[in-house]
Amino acid sequence: MPASADSGLIACPSCDLLYDVSGMRHGEKASCSRCGDFLTRVRNDSFLKLQSFAISGLIFLAIGCAFPFLSFKSSGLESIMTLPQTVQQLYDQGRPDLAFLVAGFIIIVPAVVLLLLLVLSTCILKQRFYDWMIPLTRLVFHMQAWAMVEVFFIGVLVSLVKIGHMATVVIGISFWGYGAFALCFIASVANLDRLQYWNELERLAGLKHAG
Amino acid sequence: MQGDTAASRHLASCHLCFKLADASLHHCPRCGEALHLRKTNSLQRTLALLVTACVLYIPANILPIMVTDQFGNATDSTIIGGVVLLIDMGSVPIAAIIFIASVMVPLGKLIALFFVCWSVSAGRLKDPRQRTVMYRAAELIGKWSMVDVFVVSILVALVHLTGLLVILPGAAAVAFAGVVIVTIIAAESFDPRLIWDQQDKVNE
Repeated sequence: MPASADSGLIACPSCDLLYDVSGMRHGEKASCSRCGDFLTRVRNDSFLKLQSFAISGLIFLAIGCAFPFLSFKSSGLESIMTLPQTVQQLYDQGRPDLAFLVAGFIIIVPAVVLLLLLVLSTCILKQRFYDWMIPLTRLVFHMQAWAMVEVFFIGVLVSLVKIGHMATVVIGISFWGYGAFALCFIASVANLDRLQYWNELERLAGLKHAG
Repeated sequence: MQGDTAASRHLASCHLCFKLADASLHHCPRCGEALHLRKTNSLQRTLALLVTACVLYIPANILPIMVTDQFGNATDSTIIGGVVLLIDMGSVPIAAIIFIASVMVPLGKLIALFFVCWSVSAGRLKDPRQRTVMYRAAELIGKWSMVDVFVVSILVALVHLTGLLVILPGAAAVAFAGVVIVTIIAAESFDPRLIWDQQDKVNE
């Protein structure tokens, strides 16, 4: 019975039905026939895409943090908002808890996820395996659910409409930078397939221990 | 023809890396994550977290989510108050986004998860596929309710013209963020395989 654990069998995460996914080719996608849940998708270029979107995403995030995001003008007065300032303002207004959550969800978690994905996918592309790759990959999968990049961007659009009538709101460079970062983040995570990723990591670990 | 389930072969599927391993192991041999045949005490945990979310939902709606200070006059606005204000201003689509994200999504999620928990414990599972889809929808929409919290944060950072117009964050923003976080954890701690286990037992 333990032999079946290594034969390409997986269980549907939603209903536990067993499937053999070992014979899948590039571009093929597997879903559970009983409950409809997504199982895995095979893409030969997924690590390359993971790496390239992670690099572009990190660059766009740097742009998104460094320049004015939005500015607000009324009666000759102007206030400029940058992303780090958003966190700072919340902290100064006596809401350190909110500041911590917002910083985590929109900057820290997505940045750490992209950084880890960049390092890990580079190692995998070079066919290297190190023992620290396993805990770091686990960290990526745990953190991934807490990145709210796209939700924040919708929030920005809503705020624009909400205060657009009160005064002049000018869109800054960082707005576009963060928008591009959000797209890169989504594209990068979309190429992160649990099963394929761990299978590849396991194969590399096996190669290392065999040779 | 339906195949076997992993549990019927005494195999546990790792929730993190999908590795199948003998169910008597305590940790996944591939990624080292804790390994269980089914998530431990999944129903109790989910229900406890759902109750927590319901409790937090009360201050989230009663307390002000943001305070607008215009020429020294402070006006509080709650979540519902903000939606009503947006409708009065004529921005119905934005009011709809805020209403869906801050009222319908969290409430819908709570109701869906309570219902799925109830159907598992009461054994009312005539249509397991529909229950699974319901659970997955609740899991998927969870983080979108954070929109309102982010809107408040952006407005606080953007609008601070001292003496003229200042927007301050309200206590409800924290409570509401709490609702969102707790329901995300609640959805994560529920094990959808429980929905199918009873049916599998009948088939055997």
